[in-house]
Amino acid sequence: MRFDLMIAVVVTCAVAALGLAGTYAVTAERIVEQQRLAEARSLKSVLPDASEFQQVEDAKILQSAEAEAEGVFVSAFRALASDGALIGWGVRVQPRGYGGPMQMVVGLDRNGKVTGASILSMNETPGLGTRIQSDKWFLEQFAGVEASGVDKQLKALDVIAGATKSSRGVNKGVAAAAHVYEKVLSKAGGE
Amino acid sequence: MSKWIEVFRSGITFENPLMRLMIGLCSVLAVSTRIEYSFFLGVAVIFVGVMSNVVVSAFRKLIPSEVRIPIFIVVIASFVTIVDLVMHGFLPGVYAVLGIWIPLIVVNCMILGRAEAFAYNNGVWLSIADGLGKGVGFLIVICMLAAIREVFGAGNLVFLGVHVLSLPAWYQPPSLLVLFPGAFLVFGMLMAGANALELRKRDRGKGVSA
Repeated sequence: MRFDLMIAVVVTCAVAALGLAGTYAVTAERIVEQQRLAEARSLKSVLPDASEFQQVEDAKILQSAEAEAEGVFVSAFRALASDGALIGWGVRVQPRGYGGPMQMVVGLDRNGKVTGASILSMNETPGLGTRIQSDKWFLEQFAGVEASGVDKQLKALDVIAGATKSSRGVNKGVAAAAHVYEKVLSKAGGE
Repeated sequence: MSKWIEVFRSGITFENPLMRLMIGLCSVLAVSTRIEYSFFLGVAVIFVGVMSNVVVSAFRKLIPSEVRIPIFIVVIASFVTIVDLVMHGFLPGVYAVLGIWIPLIVVNCMILGRAEAFAYNNGVWLSIADGLGKGVGFLIVICMLAAIREVFGAGNLVFLGVHVLSLPAWYQPPSLLVLFPGAFLVFGMLMAGANALELRKRDRGKGVSA
């Protein structure tokens, strides 16, 4: 047994762990805060009339939403007006694009009309796939799509040439949000 | 001091990790679509390279050679994780794009290579020069590659949100350049340029001696 080898490795790992724990303690709060802020900004951008967003925590709703859009649905938010009335829903989805999952927020009003879609983060090809965000018209065309019969309406929308897979990804995200709304959220109501 | 400058300079010129040693290319080819991302990846690589060189060289007498590689990897991985956490917390926009490439600095053979080939056999002071020189050499090449690909592949150059330059609207940027083949093509051309420069230098050297 060469104890000096073991000691060298163990000490290195212990010091590294301490250093990382320290860094984590400093940054963890900021990281969570940044993600929350980004999410709040996206929600606000797709549902500008809402003054508050309440995350849906009801396990039953989440379960059936998960079943409706497996692997795509992340979470849902109630959009409340300043008087507390429900004016719509924000649905966080992560459809697959060309470069892996894209983090998106889709807003729907109380009648199931899409109010907007916004991209939180993605790994699409810069300058090509990222045009789904930089070409403003692309995301704007989703506003006004109705949740019922969403698939047919999405087929009629334009796709960015050269970024078909990225565009399809956004389509999938909006479709998933619409399905979740139609099958689950519209029945769940305000409370 | 002159030795320090020599070590530092060699990382940028005739021992440039990307152009001459040809190591650590994978992330370079993938990230060099935008100069902004390339710049931050370069900065992250410089930080990790210098810090791991410092730690390895400072403790080189205490690190048994049988287990040196695992110890190097732990040291490098720790600094990479620190960069990862700090970037995630303070530069979320950049982090969202660089994503997987930051954790992958751990397996960037340029950093492990420098720890093994240089820091393990040299003092702290020179190891800083080596890490800094190789890192700056990396930064310069990846930024050149990214600048070319961004200007001709996307039609404009944006750095830190500022439009540095735009090509006229009649220029239809070929998307090939921002895709992977473009990375290989442009990198090959840069390599050819670097080789031509070196050959010319060598010829001139011959002329003097003859």
